[in-house]
Amino acid sequence: MLTDIALGQYYPGNSLIHKLDPRTKILITLFFIVAIFLASGAVSYGILWGFVFLIILLSRLPLMLVLKSIKPLWIIIVLTMVIHMFTGQGENVIFSWKFFKVTQEGLEMGLKMSMRLILLLLISSILTFTTSPIVLTDGIEALLRPFKRFGVPAHELAMMMTIALRFIPTLLEETDRIMKAQTARGADFSSGNLMQRAKNMLPLLIPLFISAFRRADDLAVAMEARCYRGGEGRSRMHELVYYGRDYAALATVFVLIGLMAFIRWGNALCVL
Amino acid sequence: MQTIIEVKNLTHVYTDSENKEIKALDGINLEIRQGEFVAVIGANGSGKSTLARHFNALQRPSEGVCLIEGMDTTVEENLWDIRQHVGMVFQNPDNQIVAAIVEEDVAFGPENIGVPTAEIRTRVDAALAAVGMSDYAKHAPHLLSGGQKQRVAIAGVLALEPKCIVLDEPTAMLDPQGRKEIVTTVKKLNREKGITVVYITHYMEEALQADRIIVMGEGKLKMQGTPKEVFSHVRELYALGLEAPLAAKIADDLRQSGLNLQQGIITNEELAESICR
Repeated sequence: MLTDIALGQYYPGNSLIHKLDPRTKILITLFFIVAIFLASGAVSYGILWGFVFLIILLSRLPLMLVLKSIKPLWIIIVLTMVIHMFTGQGENVIFSWKFFKVTQEGLEMGLKMSMRLILLLLISSILTFTTSPIVLTDGIEALLRPFKRFGVPAHELAMMMTIALRFIPTLLEETDRIMKAQTARGADFSSGNLMQRAKNMLPLLIPLFISAFRRADDLAVAMEARCYRGGEGRSRMHELVYYGRDYAALATVFVLIGLMAFIRWGNALCVL
Repeated sequence: MQTIIEVKNLTHVYTDSENKEIKALDGINLEIRQGEFVAVIGANGSGKSTLARHFNALQRPSEGVCLIEGMDTTVEENLWDIRQHVGMVFQNPDNQIVAAIVEEDVAFGPENIGVPTAEIRTRVDAALAAVGMSDYAKHAPHLLSGGQKQRVAIAGVLALEPKCIVLDEPTAMLDPQGRKEIVTTVKKLNREKGITVVYITHYMEEALQADRIIVMGEGKLKMQGTPKEVFSHVRELYALGLEAPLAAKIADDLRQSGLNLQQGIITNEELAESICR
């Protein structure tokens, strides 16, 4: 059944990480990415790994669940590793065969790059595992609000995301129903070559689009009837509030960035 | 009693896809008083939905006026006040729920008019309690039954604290269980909270619950009165493409074949009683 698909990958819980404000979590994710790019050397990466595992521990997510989020991108990670290994320039040749040459510098570079990718994946999965899509939308809206004066439609984006989240299950259900109805009329969705199959999707797509547009029209009228007039002068039932834990979490990530910067440029500072 | 909706000589003209002018509403005069439960019946295309949409300014009159609490629906400044006073519930429960959590959806209306955060909470809780959906506050709407979704939609309107609710065939897409839920809920709101109800339906049994029935046909107001008065005109209703409740029809047939039955029989009980007498 199409309707069994879970929305997003939210893993409900009540841990410290779950309870953090969505804005805090989004900001931490962004700052952590900065930290990843500042990292240099084994010690830096060690600290970053430690930080990620500390968050996983605090979030009480099953370790395997988080590690699984690497899976969809493993080809890219392996490819990054291999390409860097064989194309890296350097003097310390570890292994060479005909024109293949693996240097120590290349190997290090490959390791570094794939570690960056993995860390990136892990931190962003932790964000979506511990934050429900609805709360995440609130967070994005709140963070974008200051950029409104530069023409960023913060409220409109959030509204679209909310409606999309609301209607994904409804439209999936509808797809399922149309598929069954067309199958009953002799439509075939599962055989033939790619071209044939794409063509066979038409009797599914056309009714689906027509119904989606009709729904959109109905919804627009219903929203207007309930006094919707854009983001201007709107209040919220759930105001986002920063608590002590949010400041603490943000402070921690700033310390992390500072640490990375110090490890990278610290020696240069000492020379000065 | 105070008049809440006043319609004078209301005409609504629109052009269809072939550029022909169609009169959806033609010279309607109508008054609805505070606290009334009015049912509107009529065949498909009789203009009953169009009429309903005039009540919260989703449509504007081509001619005549529509006054909501004395506010003209054609005046732009009145628009949001009118929509706060007159809430509207639509036919398809799926297409009027905006948010992915029940309580968030109920909060949508009050959020739109800028109600303070703390008050939204109390309004949402009260609205959900009034329709008996408090236990489902955190649920996802797509997992609810049709009747439950429609009750959430009613709660979403109630959270705006309207004086009047217009329901446009709210039970047309529901199963019998869901229909019963909605009729009971609406009746309760009318009796206990004194909310004026305009209930559009093509189920005659539902119209029986009303204080007054308005019969529409070809864009005109054809008949109005208490359920007893309206449903006694079995043949006039039939001519308008409507079927009176079964008991009224049987009573009419029996009278035709010479049985001396009293006038104004509309329910099964009344019919049984007067036959057995």
